[in-house]
Amino acid sequence: MLLLIGALTIGLILSLLAFGVFISFRIFEFPDITTEGSITLGGAVAAVLIVSHFSPITATAAAFVAGALAGTATALLHTRFKINRLLSGILVMTALYSVNLHVMGKSNVPLLSERTLASMAEAAGVRVLGASAVHLGPWEIGTRDLASLVLSLAVAAIVGAALYLFFRTNIGTAMQAAGDNDQMIRALGVNVDNMIVLGLAVSNGLVAVAGAILTQYQGFADVQMGIGMVVWGLASVIIGEALVGGRDLGYLITGAVMGSVLFRLLVAVALRGGLNPNDLKLVTAAFVFAALVVPGFVRRARRQRT
Amino acid sequence: MLELRQVFKTFNAGTPNEVRALRGVNLTIDDGSFVIVIGTNGSGKSTTLNAVAGGFFVDSGTIAIDGTDVTSWPEHRRASFIGRVFQNPFSGTAPSMTIAENLALAARRGRPRGLGWALRRSQLDEFRDRIRRLNMGLEDRLENPIGSLSGGQRQALTLLMASWLKPKLLLLDEHTAALDPKSADQVIRLSEEIVTRDRLTTLMVTHSMQQAAHLGDRLVMMHRGAVLHDFRGAEKQRLRANDLLNRFEDVRRADLLDESAAAMLRRLYV
Repeated sequence: MLLLIGALTIGLILSLLAFGVFISFRIFEFPDITTEGSITLGGAVAAVLIVSHFSPITATAAAFVAGALAGTATALLHTRFKINRLLSGILVMTALYSVNLHVMGKSNVPLLSERTLASMAEAAGVRVLGASAVHLGPWEIGTRDLASLVLSLAVAAIVGAALYLFFRTNIGTAMQAAGDNDQMIRALGVNVDNMIVLGLAVSNGLVAVAGAILTQYQGFADVQMGIGMVVWGLASVIIGEALVGGRDLGYLITGAVMGSVLFRLLVAVALRGGLNPNDLKLVTAAFVFAALVVPGFVRRARRQRT
Repeated sequence: MLELRQVFKTFNAGTPNEVRALRGVNLTIDDGSFVIVIGTNGSGKSTTLNAVAGGFFVDSGTIAIDGTDVTSWPEHRRASFIGRVFQNPFSGTAPSMTIAENLALAARRGRPRGLGWALRRSQLDEFRDRIRRLNMGLEDRLENPIGSLSGGQRQALTLLMASWLKPKLLLLDEHTAALDPKSADQVIRLSEEIVTRDRLTTLMVTHSMQQAAHLGDRLVMMHRGAVLHDFRGAEKQRLRANDLLNRFEDVRRADLLDESAAAMLRRLYV
């Protein structure tokens, strides 16, 4: 049960990562590797600010700004200096590794007894429930775990809804169109370069917030925490698309949350079932490869049969 | 309304692939006139349209729209003056977005886009009304993604979108060339209807001599990156498709003459 709640919570936190990847990969078809650096950047900025006794909310907001700056850097490398999309992301990701070490001052920042979003949620939970643990059937669940789950669900729901509403505004539809058909939207008076900058800024801002919340939940920031996160987010988005099927944006955003949670659950089950943690990233990569290739094979097989 | 003065453009300058696409284009178009542009392949007619739209910056010369010098304006900024329909029916619409969303995007052409709702209920009725006039049965499919429509339907919608805000200048770039004959006919009739009704200043490139003869009140024939003939008024109205074909034949013969004359001169003097 604890395992389940932990997996759900991390899945929900990382749905912000999935939103970010959704914007870069799906809206803009921009394979944005910056993500790997910006999730760590978010964790690092939040951890350092929290250790210096800033409020966890300020720290999380600062993480968003830092991530947005990283995304802006990548977008400007591509739009201003005409550097290939993939390479722009790689450059910023590589640079961020040093930046993150500088921000943290060392490779790992623990948040032992600091006030974090998780401890704030726990305090609120204790106030509501009046106990530091609740019994759910045969299981005893810590209020901290339960409160963190509720908080991450709320964050995922609010951010998801905000994103959905954003894509229904004038600027949001223009951004979608910029990814869909840049020639058309340019002819309608939209500066496509600016849209890419804004899109990647929002994308990496969300990713950094995922990193910031994850850091506060697990109690430390680590300079390695970003490795493999792009594939992770992509897997979530792909699973989400498979789950909801439709092309409608509302479905896809909900799908990203569901995909992120389901993927995390699958990972938890696999690890529980004896998967070597060292193999996790290999298996994840293989999974995304399969998810990208299999639909094409199925379609071809079907066409040959008819 | 539109004034091009001594416009030059060379692509891939200094390389073996150098193309001198525009070699001093001069063209002044009055407010409300409907100008047809024809020319052989590589004559610079589509390039001229693209230069006006801002797809690239010209090497020299000036382009002014409605008295404003736009020569150094980027494409998206010129869009406040210009409505465009492309040759490729897939170029003018965002396929994964709905018909209504595409129209809403067009309804803000060249205007600031903020956090207001893109689709407002009051607009939807107007969208439906104007789509109904296309007679394509699309008025009940506002929520469908545009990617699910045929090329002809998409081109008709692009035309509607381009003319939605009554642009100062409408650019039609061989916009029926990629359509089947029936759709092409439909889109041409629609173009004529919209241009006449809203009295739009229009520049239309076409390959079809039929269209060139029947449409518009002025006809410009381009050759080798410059304007070769310019027919207006009664002279334009008298032109038939055959006359135009004859003109093309003249151009072809003159080209041959150029080459054979050059060969002869080479033989004599080199």
